[in-house]
Amino acid sequence: MAAFSHAVSDDSIVRNLKESAVEKRRAEEVLFSRYMYLINEGIHKYSLTEEESFNAYSDSILQTIYNVTNDNFENRSSLKTYLYRIFSNKCVDLIRKKTTNKSSVHQTAPVSDMLSVISDPAKTIIQQLVEKADYEKLKSCLAKIGETCRQLLTMFSEGYPDKHIAVIMEYKSADVVKVSRLRCLDKLRQLYV
Amino acid sequence: MNNMELIENYFKGILSGEEKKSFEQRIQEEASFADEVAFYISANNMLRQRIHEEKKQQFRDVYQRQKTVSIKKPVIKIWRYVAAASVLIVLLLATWFIAGNKTSPQQLADRYIKQNLQMLPVTMGIQDSLQQGVTLYNSGKLREALPLFETLSLAHPENTDAKKYAGIVYLRLYDYDKAMQYFSGLEANKNLYSNPGKFLKAITLLKRDSKGDEDKAKQLLNEVIQQSLEGSKDAEEIIRKIK
Repeated sequence: MAAFSHAVSDDSIVRNLKESAVEKRRAEEVLFSRYMYLINEGIHKYSLTEEESFNAYSDSILQTIYNVTNDNFENRSSLKTYLYRIFSNKCVDLIRKKTTNKSSVHQTAPVSDMLSVISDPAKTIIQQLVEKADYEKLKSCLAKIGETCRQLLTMFSEGYPDKHIAVIMEYKSADVVKVSRLRCLDKLRQLYV
Repeated sequence: MNNMELIENYFKGILSGEEKKSFEQRIQEEASFADEVAFYISANNMLRQRIHEEKKQQFRDVYQRQKTVSIKKPVIKIWRYVAAASVLIVLLLATWFIAGNKTSPQQLADRYIKQNLQMLPVTMGIQDSLQQGVTLYNSGKLREALPLFETLSLAHPENTDAKKYAGIVYLRLYDYDKAMQYFSGLEANKNLYSNPGKFLKAITLLKRDSKGDEDKAKQLLNEVIQQSLEGSKDAEEIIRKIK
């Protein structure tokens, strides 16, 4: 895979990251493998442990994949430059957190930035409600809403725009995808509450 | 527009300022609406987290499988560069060694000219046309010195210094045929106690370095050595380096 990953162009990776599951997964692994040596850089240059460096690298790859999938990657730089910038920032963040004894705060899972959109005092109300959410229950509800709904919601969360979902899942249009997806979200909520 | 669509539009940033204000006002006033907004965020968090965990496990598997290969990869690259650099260094050393042991004929001639023919001897207290020519030559005015040496050489063929200097000027002006003419004329003078003509011809041939010049120069230098003519010590050194 490592040797093969260098034979695949950036364009090909970007194109496949926007495709359906099989092509996407292959492109993700090619991208991950291609710059995996950055994990070593995290260890040597930023004095991170292997696990920390792996997490920083994986998170950088996931962020890159998300931005490519939702068309936020504009090809202004190579994937390598783009990824390296994210990775360096993550390493620096990790060092800061370590030196200020805030490592316990660090989460490798993405924290929603949706809250930052809301203005106070509405933000405080929503923040308190979100903190009370039962994620395990939400997961079990997701398992009950059916394969199509699960796939719609998952693809949207992966960053696919509705127009791409329409093509991949063979919906008539992006609008139909949006309506179906929001219905699925309502269904999930009914199961949850 | 139902609530879920409104919530999504809010987070996508496609509501107007007034609509945003009204949206946030509703959060504060309607507990059920606030619950829906919180659910939208929580559901998204859960889905993102789930995807994140799955992908991370997928990457961990890839990492474990390829760890050894990937870690070695930069090392392999470095070794490639090291090997290429080593070959280059060996080639450079070999070239330097070969070139260092065998200096080209032109290099030998250049070295001799630089060390011995940059300045001509000045005779103190005499200010004839030969000395004027020498003064001009020593100040780098070769083309101005040349007519003085040539005129003197024609007017006084017995003046071997004029011939010699005219030949040297031509040599330094890269007119080798003219230089050879003057040095041959000098060589032909058998009345001189010390005649550098043959040696200077050899230097001119080395400097010109045309086809056959090197062999002819060697022959002349060997004659200089055998006959102990002027320049025999320099001739020995040049012959040693040229072999």
